Amino acid sequence: MIFEGRCWTFGDNIPTDRLVKSRYVFEPMSEIVRHVLEDLNPDFPLQVQPGDIVVAGRHFGQSSGRAIAVKALKATGIGCVVAETFARTFYRNCFEVGLPALEVPGIGDLVSDGDRLRADLTTGAVENLTAGGRAAGQGADPFLVDMLEAGGLIRLAAARPDIFA
Amino acid sequence: MNMAEKILARASGRRAVEPGEIVVADVDRLLMHDLSGYLTGQVYDREVNRPVRYPERVVMVFDHHFSPPTEQQAVVLETNRAWARRHGINLLDCGSGNLHHAAVRGGFIQPGMIVVGSDSHTPVHGALGALGVALGNDSHAGTVLPYGKAWFKVPRTVRIEVSGTPRPGVSARDVALWLVAKIGEGELNYAALEFAGPYVKELAFWDRWLFPLLCVDLGAKCAYVEPDEVTEAFVRTLPGGSVDRLERSDGQEAESVLRFDVGDLEPQVACPPTVGDVRPVAGLAGHPVQWAELGGHGGGRLEDIAAAARVLDGRRVHPRVRFNIVPSSREVFAEAVRAGLVLALHQAGATWFPPSTGSNQAYNMGALAPGEAMISTHARNFPGRNGSPEAEMYLASAATVAASAVAGTITDPREVAA
Repeated sequence: MIFEGRCWTFGDNIPTDRLVKSRYVFEPMSEIVRHVLEDLNPDFPLQVQPGDIVVAGRHFGQSSGRAIAVKALKATGIGCVVAETFARTFYRNCFEVGLPALEVPGIGDLVSDGDRLRADLTTGAVENLTAGGRAAGQGADPFLVDMLEAGGLIRLAAARPDIFA
Repeated sequence: MNMAEKILARASGRRAVEPGEIVVADVDRLLMHDLSGYLTGQVYDREVNRPVRYPERVVMVFDHHFSPPTEQQAVVLETNRAWARRHGINLLDCGSGNLHHAAVRGGFIQPGMIVVGSDSHTPVHGALGALGVALGNDSHAGTVLPYGKAWFKVPRTVRIEVSGTPRPGVSARDVALWLVAKIGEGELNYAALEFAGPYVKELAFWDRWLFPLLCVDLGAKCAYVEPDEVTEAFVRTLPGGSVDRLERSDGQEAESVLRFDVGDLEPQVACPPTVGDVRPVAGLAGHPVQWAELGGHGGGRLEDIAAAARVLDGRRVHPRVRFNIVPSSREVFAEAVRAGLVLALHQAGATWFPPSTGSNQAYNMGALAPGEAMISTHARNFPGRNGSPEAEMYLASAATVAASAVAGTITDPREVAA
């Protein structure tokens, strides 16, 4: 699975609270998506384009494990999210709701905001198409790739009764 | 195998499991609060729509609302009640206390169980020798509710050994906050943490509780305190409490061991913007606070309320501070009443709130105006979590919170209590 798009860069230790603030949790997704990460970059929810790539630092998506933070990020239309490291609930939720996620140590040094990035989820390889340079992350576990290809965990469970039933 | 591996092996029907393996295991308990329960119920009805396989294993606790302040929130709670009735799950309604405290006090958690929940502090149940893991709504809706199962990656184990005797006025919460800073946020990603060492061993149950609680800030998957006679004695006080399924590690080496000594520790305060920005209280002394609160996942324990009462003995809450006290469960409130702490703190100027998770995310209390500051026993301090992103939240021990409530500024409890 290969993704290519414009990067939006964010820092370390960003909590799910700042992806979707508490006050928007009960709003419809069409409203939530207009506020994703707005405190950290007000342009992001207004200007993000389908296929863009979110690049973050360490421990991205810490705090509350609510899947709605990942669903909102996915609803912006981004192609995938790349981080130095993820909070584990966030990483898990990404695959369960169908948003590809890739851990790449050194990604922060490789890309600047606005660069175009190419990322291979299966091998973990990434390449900066604007400034040049490559980095190697860890490819996703085959079970998680199956989950993405099925369209998320709920669809995987329905399609593969041998796994959970 | 260690405790986490033994529990995962048994629940997945295997003789043994290895770190890094993905297994599908039976889940003994699903804990949801009023927010995560609502979101999970929506996904379940819309995308799964099957009977709940084991409704008796599912517990929903309304803890972010002790009472709904808006029509929208009232509708959310009514929707949850109808969902709980329709599926026959356990429901603990408004006023029951914090999700995790109410679940423990209600006898819903036993050693050896796999406990899952959307709340990121679900690993706290490692204090009882359960394997607590935070999952997302789609795991609950997609596999736990319809099949009673979930997928898990078997974690590597990191052992954290704590030794030393803290100075007077330095509490288990100060040690816990300090450990987050010493180890670093996200530094133990995906690991299982085993808390051990003479310091931890000497702690009573509710002080041990504070250590598995912090594992999420380190990035860990789960954490536990090696079960012993303290654990067993506590479990026997619970409704239906049983140690029949208790597991212990075989004593095999963890992947790594981190050792800490707390003999020289000062009282600690976590500063905005994250839980890992922890400093000795002396560096913050004099910083004004308008709000102080005992409550949340780790606070609102009888130990916290008693510590505040000791600080406030013969003193009053500062006129420019509002001091909220939120018992973590109905049982704690009853214990505080019997001990005379409710009247003592009321007369000292504190305000009692119903058992709940208090100001956590300001769903029914605790919103802050720009420029205001709160010091509390809560577990989180991210900007914007409680009202204005320009407000500040500091996290500290109950004694430091109470001392700051008396002084109107962040204060070392040893200066007040002396």
